[in-house]
Amino acid sequence: MHNSISDPETATEHDPCEQRELIGDRGDYFLNRIQGETGVNFSACYQCERCTNACPISGFMDLKPHQIIRYVQLGWRIRLLKSSTIWICLSCEMCTTYCPNEVDVAEIINHLRMMAASSSITPKEKSLAVFHRTFLEELIKSGRINEFRLMRAYYSKPDILHTKIKNGTFKEEFRLAMTLLRKGRLKLSAPKSKAVKEIQKAYFQTRGEIS
Amino acid sequence: MKLSFYPGCSLEGMANDYCESIYAVFKDLGIDLVEIEDWSCCGATAAHSLSEVMSVILPARNLAAAEKMGLDIICPCSLCFNRLLFSQKMIKKKIFHIPWHVTGNIRVLDMTRFLAKPSIIKLIKQCILKPLDSLKVVCYYGCQMVRPPKITGYADYENPQTLDHIAAAAGAQVIDWSYKSTCCGASIGIGRREIVESLSKRILQKTQQAGAEAIVVSCPLCQSNLDIVQKDRSQPPTPIFYITELLRLSFNDKGNPKWFKMHVADPVPLLKAKGLL
Repeated sequence: MHNSISDPETATEHDPCEQRELIGDRGDYFLNRIQGETGVNFSACYQCERCTNACPISGFMDLKPHQIIRYVQLGWRIRLLKSSTIWICLSCEMCTTYCPNEVDVAEIINHLRMMAASSSITPKEKSLAVFHRTFLEELIKSGRINEFRLMRAYYSKPDILHTKIKNGTFKEEFRLAMTLLRKGRLKLSAPKSKAVKEIQKAYFQTRGEIS
Repeated sequence: MKLSFYPGCSLEGMANDYCESIYAVFKDLGIDLVEIEDWSCCGATAAHSLSEVMSVILPARNLAAAEKMGLDIICPCSLCFNRLLFSQKMIKKKIFHIPWHVTGNIRVLDMTRFLAKPSIIKLIKQCILKPLDSLKVVCYYGCQMVRPPKITGYADYENPQTLDHIAAAAGAQVIDWSYKSTCCGASIGIGRREIVESLSKRILQKTQQAGAEAIVVSCPLCQSNLDIVQKDRSQPPTPIFYITELLRLSFNDKGNPKWFKMHVADPVPLLKAKGLL
């Protein structure tokens, strides 16, 4: 490849009009916060990109796993919380397992997902964010998850059914549900756990509500 | 021998065949399984995605219930197994207040590792009436059972062997392959169908390249992903068996075809062609 830097003819100064992002919108605050909460040593990352190479879905991500680490180091909070990566990460733990310096990448992404869920930022992968929320709500309601109840609750969330019909996946999913019903895999009802009251109490306590 | 059994939500619904086959196999092996009383969901992906506290205390309730019974837990679902172990680790760190009395000292056993113990393998070999020696299979472990090794305790996380040992004990021809613990896409199919399809189809393609006729799994979500992706029937089906379904088939002259009806990729033609059904 032609090297423009070593060629005095084409070498240019850095464009003074280019908008440059500040390193860290709030200094080290964001890095220190995540470092403290996850217990991960971020300075151990030397950007070898092994996490990205191990990731089975890095091709679908807007920010690659190694970029996530770098962005945290730079304190680019908004970009991280607005990314689709934090929602489509499968938590398959490949990145964590193969990191030579024991940076727990999956835990960091998981932590960012929790931060995004409790922030006012609209998640980029809304359907996945809504699904997680619905799952937890159904769990609190009955103590156990029944696939039919879960999917019914999921589809009745605002926009979900509408988007599914619009992009044509609804028809396919409906057909799949019928197949599973016929095969006896989709159970229309399931017993609730007897511990549902205990779970609800614990859940409301974690949210600071006293019941 | 007596063990407490934590089935998990999938085994009540989508993977009901798995649950029944586990009970049947353990009955044949003479091991008592006692379902944890009032067990509740482990929180799965949702709890650890949204609330760290919930991801610790939800499994902790089941650990507490098993401790009350005083029996080690056997866990067939990979994710439940992973979440229970994670919760146990956090309980010992004493970071969160757990509303239930729990010490975290009970052992959580992943079902395949339990069955692959030399003593149990010996027991399995004694029970076999009809070895599956004509069946060529690959074993697929998925993610949560083996990774991260710090939590699951798998030393051979790159090339796990437990399912291979069990399937080989049942007489099947186990083929070695490189996709044992490559992710199948997990629950992402809910929002991004194309990701789960690309990952699962690659695993099926590699199965055929390895020369296997079926995949042996132990995770209910892996099974449904790999099974459901074959719903269009564009290619000859690659049946996805739970390990206990195969064991039961080899233990019994007449397996239970009722379980096989629940599969999307129909295993009956393959088993009939091999003279196993």
